[in-house]
Amino acid sequence: MGLKRYVAKRVAHAAVVIYIVATVVFFAVRAIPGDPARVLLGGDANADAIAALREDMGLNQPLYVQYLRWLGDLVRGDFGQSVFNDQPVLDMLLGVAEPTASIAALGMVIAILIALPAGIVSSVKRYQWEDYVATAVSFVGISMPGFWIGIVLLLVFSARLGLVPAFGYVSISEGIVPWFKHIILPAIAVGLPYGGILMRMTRSSMMDVLNEDYMRTARAKGLSNRLVLFKHGLQNALIPIITIAGILLGVLLGGVVAVEVVFGIQGLGRLLIASIERRDFPVIQGAVIIISFIFVAMNLLVDILYTSINPRIKYGGGE
Amino acid sequence: MSVADRVRERLATEEGSRVLGIRSDLLDRLVKTIRLDLRAKIGFTIVVLFGLSAVFAPMLAPHDPMAQAFGMLQSPNPSSANPLGTDSFGRDLLSRLMYGARISLAVGLGAVTFGALVGILIGLFAGYYGGWLDDLLMRAVDVMWAFPWLLIAIILVAIFGQGFWNVMFAVGFAYIDDFARLARGEVLSVREEEYTLAAESIGLSDTEIIFEEVFPNTVAPLIVQFTVFTARAILAESTLSFLGLGVKPTTPTWGALLGQGRGFITQAWWISIIPGIAIMITVLGINLFGDALRDAFDVKETET
Repeated sequence: MGLKRYVAKRVAHAAVVIYIVATVVFFAVRAIPGDPARVLLGGDANADAIAALREDMGLNQPLYVQYLRWLGDLVRGDFGQSVFNDQPVLDMLLGVAEPTASIAALGMVIAILIALPAGIVSSVKRYQWEDYVATAVSFVGISMPGFWIGIVLLLVFSARLGLVPAFGYVSISEGIVPWFKHIILPAIAVGLPYGGILMRMTRSSMMDVLNEDYMRTARAKGLSNRLVLFKHGLQNALIPIITIAGILLGVLLGGVVAVEVVFGIQGLGRLLIASIERRDFPVIQGAVIIISFIFVAMNLLVDILYTSINPRIKYGGGE
Repeated sequence: MSVADRVRERLATEEGSRVLGIRSDLLDRLVKTIRLDLRAKIGFTIVVLFGLSAVFAPMLAPHDPMAQAFGMLQSPNPSSANPLGTDSFGRDLLSRLMYGARISLAVGLGAVTFGALVGILIGLFAGYYGGWLDDLLMRAVDVMWAFPWLLIAIILVAIFGQGFWNVMFAVGFAYIDDFARLARGEVLSVREEEYTLAAESIGLSDTEIIFEEVFPNTVAPLIVQFTVFTARAILAESTLSFLGLGVKPTTPTWGALLGQGRGFITQAWWISIIPGIAIMITVLGINLFGDALRDAFDVKETET
């Protein structure tokens, strides 16, 4: 199979997955008990008003009609309107995407900055004190809930030392420094556990590579240790590390949701939880589909990227 | 003796005896690891200590975890009566922690058991039969995988409501795909081994082959994954409880205690910090144990 056909096949597969995700979400959301019209109008609303609103929201139509209509809109990029405040769902999601994306991105940078050097040192100095220290630190990192790290950081750096603000978010368009000050603690909170896992992966992947013949050959050619390590070692070790990093994005995203709550940041996570409380079906659907889409797309990208870079991987070779 | 009987006997002697479907040589290595490996010793001790304090919480806890003491409202600080202080309702934090351990450990263990059972079954059948069944099952797994775990859990809790069992299934559901993938990969690697082919050639039924020949030879990485995911499940449960989507707002769980203490963080920091330390020590213990097992069973980090 050629690369083009392989890519086409993977993209088609991802599209089918996203479609099924969307369908599952549509029906799952409707299984959540509670009538959105009743939630919207409050407990003491009269029956006529509720019935009228249900009609207005299209909730009285058969489920399959609602589904087809929704699917048709979705294909055209229309995620519908929030039943809570009538805003287009896509606008609401884009409105809260920036803080979430900022925290996730900076968290990932922090994780990589810790994990790669620590993992490499750990693999090269295997079973020496450097390895033990790095391993111990990564184990503690993996074992802490991100939101708890957030609370500890908040207590020390905001409440006690007053170095950074404790709550809220400032857009990057209002200046990099205030933006950074607002997201640095949340980013550390999501980055530490993620970095802990990445460090273990880097160590184990590097150790595999260090035993390979080509490493010995490179050394025998008289290349410097550093060159061998980074050019031949890290480059090959990166493939499994990047794959795992993509798969674990879900863990990172989960961390961001709880951390947003700790720091009172109005992001995707808090919007999602609020929408579930107020039975705002269109927003829940939109949020889940977008998050799943990002997740699948990122992993697809990683997959295609290294398949096209690494000649040893056979397309569609499967297992 | 027929040829089939001889093959059968040979299969039995080569593999050694089994306990609960697990090859006895793996069990030997497990026991040896707990006795000799420092990580395993520390991890095992932590897990046993926390497990015991959870099981015997009603006997060990100094106070009723729900008993409010209004006199304590003004003095939540640790004292001889309340070694770890009290929460905002004057309830003893140490007692609440001990009761919280019951939920955290039970939900964590139960969630992974559920995810592992369903996932391993899917993986075994998909890997063993291949073809359309494999395609169907693994496409379903792909869809599960496309939902980040917290989304699955939040939606499931929203649909079925809060409560012990619902939270357990909601957390465990997200692990089905991981176990299915791992089990399937392992099955594919032993599918063409001689003992599988030999078992097929003497006409053992598919179920016999899957559960008696294939599964026992895939079990080492699954045990390691089980351990690692128990640690993750405890973190997941604490996250849900913290978000108010856990067992029940009134039940003391580590995540909920932490969340409730957040409002008093500047006056009484320990209400939030101590439950987090309990979570960390437990999860660390399980992770250490899992890491020792990984080495003992020779399972790669990138695999699980």
